[in-house]
Amino acid sequence: MAVSALRLPPGGLQRLGRRLGTVALTLLGLLALTFFIGRVMPLDPVLAVVGPDADQSTYDQVFKRMGLDQPMYVQFSYYLNDLLHGDLGNALLTGLPVVGDIKRVFPATMELATMAIILGTCIGIPLGVFAATRRGKMGDHVVRVISLFGYSTPVFWFGMMGLLVFYAWLGWAGGAGRVDLAYDGLITPVTGFLLIDSAMLGEWEVFASAFKHLFLPACILGLHSTAYISRMTRAFMLAQLSQEYILTARVKGLSERTVIWRHAFRNILVQLLTIVALTYGNLLEGAVLIETVFAWPGFGQYLTSSLLLGDMNAVMGCVLLIGLIFVFLNLLADALYQVFDPRTR
Amino acid sequence: MKVRTTLKACVLALALTTAPYSSIHAATPADQMIIGMSMNNLLSLDPAAATGLDVATIGANLYDMLVELDAKDPSKLVPALAESWKISDDGRTITFVIRKGTKFQSGNPLTAEDVAWSLQRVLKLNMALATTWKSYGFTAQNAEKFLRAPDAQTFVMELPEPTDPKLVLYTLGASPSAFILDRKKVMENDKNGDLGNAWLTTHAAGSGPFKLDDWRAKDSLLMSRFDGYWRGAPKLRRIIMRHMTESQSMRLMIERGDIDLAVGMSVSDIQALKGNKDVAIESVKRGTIYYVAVSMKDPKFADKRVRQAIRSLIDYEGINKTIMPHYGILHQRPVQSGLSATLSNPGHKLDVPSAKKLLAEAGHPNGFKTTIRVLSDPPFMNIATNLQSTLAQAGIEASVISGTGNQIYGAMRDRSFEIIVGRGGGGAEPHPHSSLRALAYNPDNRDEAKLTNFQGWRTSFFSPELNQVIEKAEVEKDPIKQITLYQDAQKIYDQQVGAIMPISQMIETEVKRKDVRNLISHPSATTRFREVYKQR
Repeated sequence: MAVSALRLPPGGLQRLGRRLGTVALTLLGLLALTFFIGRVMPLDPVLAVVGPDADQSTYDQVFKRMGLDQPMYVQFSYYLNDLLHGDLGNALLTGLPVVGDIKRVFPATMELATMAIILGTCIGIPLGVFAATRRGKMGDHVVRVISLFGYSTPVFWFGMMGLLVFYAWLGWAGGAGRVDLAYDGLITPVTGFLLIDSAMLGEWEVFASAFKHLFLPACILGLHSTAYISRMTRAFMLAQLSQEYILTARVKGLSERTVIWRHAFRNILVQLLTIVALTYGNLLEGAVLIETVFAWPGFGQYLTSSLLLGDMNAVMGCVLLIGLIFVFLNLLADALYQVFDPRTR
Repeated sequence: MKVRTTLKACVLALALTTAPYSSIHAATPADQMIIGMSMNNLLSLDPAAATGLDVATIGANLYDMLVELDAKDPSKLVPALAESWKISDDGRTITFVIRKGTKFQSGNPLTAEDVAWSLQRVLKLNMALATTWKSYGFTAQNAEKFLRAPDAQTFVMELPEPTDPKLVLYTLGASPSAFILDRKKVMENDKNGDLGNAWLTTHAAGSGPFKLDDWRAKDSLLMSRFDGYWRGAPKLRRIIMRHMTESQSMRLMIERGDIDLAVGMSVSDIQALKGNKDVAIESVKRGTIYYVAVSMKDPKFADKRVRQAIRSLIDYEGINKTIMPHYGILHQRPVQSGLSATLSNPGHKLDVPSAKKLLAEAGHPNGFKTTIRVLSDPPFMNIATNLQSTLAQAGIEASVISGTGNQIYGAMRDRSFEIIVGRGGGGAEPHPHSSLRALAYNPDNRDEAKLTNFQGWRTSFFSPELNQVIEKAEVEKDPIKQITLYQDAQKIYDQQVGAIMPISQMIETEVKRKDVRNLISHPSATTRFREVYKQR
């Protein structure tokens, strides 16, 4: 079923071409907007490099070296030219290739986000379904309060409290960072995912330490996602459960489990996919606050500090990646729609 | 239901914040030191391009210098790579004898050629730290002529312009630009004539007690012991620096013993650790000064009476007692405290009636509107808020504009500000000229002169009389006369009501585990870990 659903229909190539064109234009627009906003922001990357006490000749030299003496459109065209050759340029402040930086920080965030979204989905969906089937009863209220609490409490506060209880008091969780400091630098990154890399090398002590460090921030982010996903699942399920086909199914004498999971739940899968994909996208974009609390060397921290220092090459690289993530997740969700919803084929 | 949950959360939060924190103590390995610090400003490890204090600390452990400043008494010069040095009678030439048999971490021998090349490189690259050397008259063009190595064991530094040779020696012992590089190793990594600048951003080529293993920007930095170090191998095997920006996380980690040293913690967290018997809180005085600055380009502030009024509207005592603990100590002179030339504080105080009178005389009986630019970090923001309220008492309505360092100091460099609450003033060298050059000296007040490295120029404070005294003091050979001249400079500055009004001298507070021994924070940030060990 899945394979036939993904097969291109007649005229599919044209549609795919149009789609890719739209994607390219979207990304170009995104880059242009970021570039020009970045240039008019009152931030001076030169000053970050030369320091506040440098004299004018040093300032002018670095200004020129960064290419900032060129008109904006020329700078942008250079950037695009490099981009077409697969080069995101060097971070203006450190001089390090942006691609290398992103390769280093993105897996850290992806590892965290993936764990969080798995937790959020595995807990959030059943909770939402549970609440919807007990509408107005105690179970529903409990789930709603948990959701409200999880969604409205700042993740930063959860992070601090989590560290206090599970790290400082109980010693169950690892502290800040991706791994105990004694193991820092022992694993040469292959995939960049510390759990995978340490398992591949058979370094089980490092694996255990990495897991201990990952679990708490992932749970906190997962709780946040759980709250959102469960609320949306509940709302979608309630809409389905009031439909006539559900009544028909019940009249036919189907078990409540079949009615809920085979009939109602199946029909909200498409909407849920969108919610989960977008939540995952948001998590990948960088959970800056949780990364700050847990000193997690991830994408969110990298993007924020680059932005604050006016390092536009790094910011553009990050924005491009975020754009690509959302485009990819949208395409994935569209493709999965075709799998789960025959009407979209 | 919602109310009950919220109440439970409040009770839990209260319990968590008031209860004693940790009962479980981890311990870092005995032969490693783990440091939690913000690495946001650590952009390059190249000594020529280094900015900020963090890179000075890191570099001081990867590289050696010709001379060092004693950590306990920074005015005392200690031999390092230079076994000895001699200053010529005219004070224009310093000849150094380089220690024999010293090797770089690569195994290459360290010679006077490496010394000359390292210093020439700073000027040729003309990056951040070239500024100090240029102020002594060195340029990229004259560097090879004035910085030379006649033989492998002799390095000669000729001063292009008359200056106090002791000041230059202090720069050699305090500035990261004076770290000595392994010329061969660096040039092996030269790219398009960049003198190894790109490579040195993330690598090191020194002779220091520690080798750089890995640096991941805004993540961590790892150094390991260099067994062949000429002073003998350090006691610690590894130093790990971890990028941490959240003060409370650092507090939890140092309490549990997962880090040995926490740098840059917030005052509230430092205060909370005061009763903890496992940690020690130590402060070190830096040469930098917190100040309120006004722009004399603005006609209002060009009027001496208005500046005097502003000076009387700063609540020095209140700020230093309530805001500055662990950040700074009361100081009102443009020369850092602790030097023999530094005069005692002139005793400026918050005096609203006098300020009102001065403002009325200057034609502002009802005050005026103005802006205060300030960094959004503590304690700057707190000082600005305090200043805003005391200015209001004299009718001056000031709005606060906060921003990042480069936004605030950028505006100052452009001379487009009214009032700034900031920090600066050189002070790396324990010499009055270092502070006065940065804060008060301004040899050319024209906009097109663009002397952006002089804060005197940035504030448009121009006093030929003061310039003359500073210039005279810099070349005065008699130490007693020199001290008198520097004291005269401070008096003139006070009488003329300089545009930069010092309020506090910076101190930096660090928290360390009690078992860490021999760790002495250096006033010029070149803190060395070679003698550090853990007593367990």
